[in-house]
Amino acid sequence: MGNVDDDSATFEQSYDCANNRNEKVSTPISNGHIPSHAFVQQKVEGQLSEPELVEEEQNEEQLLLNKHLKFSAPAYTEIRTRSGGLKFKGTSEGSYHPAKQLEANGHATKSGSKCEKFKPSQADGVLSAEQEHYQKTSFEDVPLHTACLTYLGFYLLMILGYINQLLFVPKVATEKGREGYVALYDAFESFYSRYVYRRVRDCWNRPICSVPGDELVLKDRVTDDYGWSFRFTGTETRCLNLGSYNYLGFAAATGACADDSEQRARQKGLAYCSPRSELGNTQLHIDLERLTARYCGVEDAIVFGMGFATNALNLPSLLGPNCLVVSDEKNHASIILGLRLSGATTRVFKHNSMRDLERVLRNGVCYGNPKNGGKPWNKIMILVEGIFSMEGSLVRLPEIIALKKKYKAYLYLDEAHSIGSMGPTGRGVVEYFGADPKDVDILMGTFTKSFGSAGGYIAGSKKLIDFLRTNSHAHCYASSISPPIVQQIYTSMSIIMGEDGTDTGRNKVQQLARNTRYFRRRLAQMGVITYGHEDSPVVPMLVYLFSKIGAVIRTLTTRHIAVVGAGFPATPIMEGRIRFCLSAAHTKEQLDYALDVIDDVSENLGLKYSRKPRDPKIIEY
Amino acid sequence: MWNLKHFAANLYRQYELVTCINMFEPWEKKLINGFVLLMFVLLIFSSCVYLPSYMDTLLDVITPTSGTSKVPDMVYVPQRISSI
Repeated sequence: MGNVDDDSATFEQSYDCANNRNEKVSTPISNGHIPSHAFVQQKVEGQLSEPELVEEEQNEEQLLLNKHLKFSAPAYTEIRTRSGGLKFKGTSEGSYHPAKQLEANGHATKSGSKCEKFKPSQADGVLSAEQEHYQKTSFEDVPLHTACLTYLGFYLLMILGYINQLLFVPKVATEKGREGYVALYDAFESFYSRYVYRRVRDCWNRPICSVPGDELVLKDRVTDDYGWSFRFTGTETRCLNLGSYNYLGFAAATGACADDSEQRARQKGLAYCSPRSELGNTQLHIDLERLTARYCGVEDAIVFGMGFATNALNLPSLLGPNCLVVSDEKNHASIILGLRLSGATTRVFKHNSMRDLERVLRNGVCYGNPKNGGKPWNKIMILVEGIFSMEGSLVRLPEIIALKKKYKAYLYLDEAHSIGSMGPTGRGVVEYFGADPKDVDILMGTFTKSFGSAGGYIAGSKKLIDFLRTNSHAHCYASSISPPIVQQIYTSMSIIMGEDGTDTGRNKVQQLARNTRYFRRRLAQMGVITYGHEDSPVVPMLVYLFSKIGAVIRTLTTRHIAVVGAGFPATPIMEGRIRFCLSAAHTKEQLDYALDVIDDVSENLGLKYSRKPRDPKIIEY
Repeated sequence: MWNLKHFAANLYRQYELVTCINMFEPWEKKLINGFVLLMFVLLIFSSCVYLPSYMDTLLDVITPTSGTSKVPDMVYVPQRISSI
């Protein structure tokens, strides 16, 4: 359904073959550590001369062989044989092969090889902030016919859904003995998930069974009743991972972070089962807070065990009913929930529109609180995110700081996605724009994304943090972060800061910046519409139609690429999109492979909507 | 021949994609495609029956003229259509 793969037989065969091999060993765990080709060769030769090797080594060698064979399997190399508008110089140009790993491609190694003309992830500052924003942000209006077709398709889905609901009893569990009760769940929501979302349900919530590093292993599942239920086939597919927020590649099963966390778990156990203000406070947490404060360049920081709760539970302690919040329209659900809990008056401004922000701020200052007879607001707070996760756009920080100073408002910056992934040394958008961290009153961020862990922090002045320590629900009632998780954050953060004595962290940040720019430019060259800032590692590719989201995800899965799609409830109806998240763990070969497949797929499925002139030159990595 | 088949398959796939038909179950697909075909057939039938002169003109426009300058007044077609 919706797959453009005509010759699925070859794929199935190759797939079976790969899986038979997999049966011999346990699930190969991918962690971004791809051994060099020479090593594999050596191993193979070694095995030929000496048949009796230790079992462990054999297993390892089998695993390496799997990795080696995987990419020469037909499903991976199929792209070479398809024309699809692709022009490869050599036969192996379009394939991603571990042998090519040996070539110097500027990816983060411990030796720290880098290209000369590398531009760090940083604002140029040559043009004015506004001009630079418009120059670097890609945005394109939806073509009119696509918009019409999107609505047509949506109406068709709705109408047929209603017909379906009328004719058949939905295959869902129903409660007995509930006559006369009002429906507990929203009627439209359950209709939508049953008759629209269900049709493409296989593209979301896919179970994985490996660490989500640069590659991941999907557990295959099939549906016999068009998405009502799934059953596992017992096989697995290894895919290139373009869907995780693993920006710096710290989500790995091996390496310093994993070793330290394991050691810490053995030493300190798994949980303290108590909040920070009671028995859950240890030197580990205090160290982490100090490190976070140093990382952000501010006086103090406070850490929480849950990133979502950091927003949702700290905003109510900072804001009250007589406060005005000026919030960006694309802010995350956790912020919106926090604002609703706080009871503050929320005014929304258009996404990244400074003119609209100033209008809202000026109105707020001039007219005061209408519910309070026009008396001035207690405080006005501007709420923005660093990188907007659905749009891939960057906050216009210099202009917002100027406005904030002009109107004496507070600024709350949610750096959930940008911390670690932006700026020359990964300190987030504040460093990216060269702003002073003290100009941002409240710096919030999560450890879930770049640090490959869980939790969130708030950093700012000592006064603010002390206030939160006494008032925050997340601090007083939620149990403290588990020791191995603290250790994972601590180790990854010190690696990014270079405190482990190597420049691995810096190389990772640079690798991410390079990957991002390369990927975005190649996509633009292909003629697909992408949103967002040139340096943001979240790359939404617009496919608009609901059916195309499913078709793209399914087709890419058959080509061993795992991506995330976002459709109507998460985005406006007209703007279905595929969201690629880049990582420092990706190498140029992996990206090239992915890009070639995306090019082929977008050609076949008609995703090349862009009417902008394309760059004819070859994009340099 | 294979090329033509490929082209037709591609065209049908595009049609399925842009109308979200590829998301439907087989019986729903048949329903929608049947409906679309029915509408199309009705349209052609009714235009043939009720607008024969219009169809004649249309056929004249569509059919490629074999000889050069055989029907010079046919160049004027767009206005004749609009006058009907």
